[in-house]
Amino acid sequence: MWIRHEIENGASVLYLDGAWRLGNLRPISTELESLKLPRNCTFTLDGSRLGELDTAAAFTLCRHLAERGCNEAMVGTRAFAPRLEQLLGLVRSRMRTPPSEAKSAHRGLLSRLGVAAIQDWQLIKVHNAFIGLIAVELAALARRPKLFRARETVSQFEDVCLDAIPVVALVTFLIGVVVAYLLGVQAQQYGAGIFVVDGVGLAICRELSPILVAVVVAGRSGAAFTAQIGAMKVQEEVDAIRTLGLSPIQVLVIPRLVALTAALPLLVFIGDLFGIAGGIAAAAWQLGILPVTFIDRLHAVLPMSAITVGIGKAPVFAIFIAVIACRMGLLVSRDARSVGENTTSTVVQCIVSVIVLDAIFAVTLQRLGI
Amino acid sequence: MGEPVLRFDSVVTRFETTMVHEGVTFSVARGEIVALIGASGTGKSVLVKEAIGLLRPASGKIELLGTDVCRAGSREMNALRRRFGMLFQDGALFSSLTVAENVAVPFREHTDLPDALIAPLVGFKLSLVGLDVEAGARAPAELSGGMRKRVALARALALEPEMLFLDEPTSGLDPVNARAFDDLVRVLRDGLGLTVFMVTHDLDTLSIVDRVVVLSAGKVIADGPLAEVRSMQDPWILEYFSTRD
Repeated sequence: MWIRHEIENGASVLYLDGAWRLGNLRPISTELESLKLPRNCTFTLDGSRLGELDTAAAFTLCRHLAERGCNEAMVGTRAFAPRLEQLLGLVRSRMRTPPSEAKSAHRGLLSRLGVAAIQDWQLIKVHNAFIGLIAVELAALARRPKLFRARETVSQFEDVCLDAIPVVALVTFLIGVVVAYLLGVQAQQYGAGIFVVDGVGLAICRELSPILVAVVVAGRSGAAFTAQIGAMKVQEEVDAIRTLGLSPIQVLVIPRLVALTAALPLLVFIGDLFGIAGGIAAAAWQLGILPVTFIDRLHAVLPMSAITVGIGKAPVFAIFIAVIACRMGLLVSRDARSVGENTTSTVVQCIVSVIVLDAIFAVTLQRLGI
Repeated sequence: MGEPVLRFDSVVTRFETTMVHEGVTFSVARGEIVALIGASGTGKSVLVKEAIGLLRPASGKIELLGTDVCRAGSREMNALRRRFGMLFQDGALFSSLTVAENVAVPFREHTDLPDALIAPLVGFKLSLVGLDVEAGARAPAELSGGMRKRVALARALALEPEMLFLDEPTSGLDPVNARAFDDLVRVLRDGLGLTVFMVTHDLDTLSIVDRVVVLSAGKVIADGPLAEVRSMQDPWILEYFSTRD
């Protein structure tokens, strides 16, 4: 019903009928296919019965004719309303060879693995170069301490330290409860409930508080650093900083690095306190150990080194988190999507590197007998 | 000209305590190209967003293609959305999709066409706005500002709209590209019978429009063909056009 093919005086005429609109394109296209028009033949398009025509339908018709070998000179028109004729003319003048099917962007498993490996290796190289850059800027800072941005650093410190205290306290308190509870179940069987204190003190102070706090901070502040700097990159603020004769590393990176390095040991200490508080709560409730007894026992058995080792690891974690997060922020390209991608990548990289560092610390310190 | 397809009737807009529009009234007829000009901050883009239902005026009536935008329900609005296209200021292309996928989005969401039909249509829409078909495989982030606008125009034109809204169509383009874009808009209007309503700062773009509407201090202070508006004795209009002479 959309198109009729007739032979008039030996010439092929195609009568277009009805509303040739995008909404009807599917039946129109099916009918075009079923006409099985002869190849390389001249046609006259008749528009006298045509109600409407839009570019999608006109294009589909022209493309079909072109595929049957009819170039523009072989297709004439007659009896079209002026507006539709104009539209058909526009479509024919703008039409080019139809695009080949979109190339598939899917790669094989092996090549994806390879690409990912190369990208990761390049990322590590970039991070190393960035550490060198920060070292140079820190040396410049040592020569000219006036370059240090105290206000920015303090503001960052407030963000990464003070504002993080509630979540750090909650997480470590709960972990303290869990550790004490699980240890208590075991220790009770031997009637050695009091040894829960030894276990909780050591586990929280030496391992759990540093690593948990670092993971929380990586997710909280690491992601924030990348997103902040990335958004500035998108808005060309980073270029503006450079143009004003300032160093983005001095302005953006060093304040964050210093703030985080100062904040993380403090957060770990707070984590220690709340973790032990969690242990006290669980021990009192489950084993009936009085808080006073718990603290007394803790004094006797918890070596100072457990606390110092735990807190001592924190600045190292902090430096890694800050360097990775700032670097990923500066690597953002000028579109919104890469901010999201880099932020995700920051969190993953930070958490993995914190765990790797912690493993290295555990083995090394054990060997050194600390 | 024909019947009005877009009508603003004493539209009042307020943000918190600031008055943006204090009774804006004008209309756009079918097949016209109308430009809205005015100083920065007079709420030109706000007016466009109200026309397409992204924002709601405090009072007044806006009628687009026979639908009262302020009172239309979500189903009515969705039907209306297929009948107009909007070109946002910076293109607003989806950055996670390629150029071709961006243009294909309206086809995929609003038609039941098979992929075998959509792919050539997307290619045609790109060449309709003067882009190479090869550009289809690229990511929006790799494109220049002018190309981004053309892709956005191709996406806006995908569903054969009757009405096209343009927000600062030539901002950020060099003069050559800007004129080429103006010509494109006019060719499309003539060929497709589109109605075009645009917000612009570009004096040169005004040469392709049929009518200019001037917004100042929350009201329409002039509405007419370019020559008529040009000769008006309003301080802002005088200053605006004197930046050229």
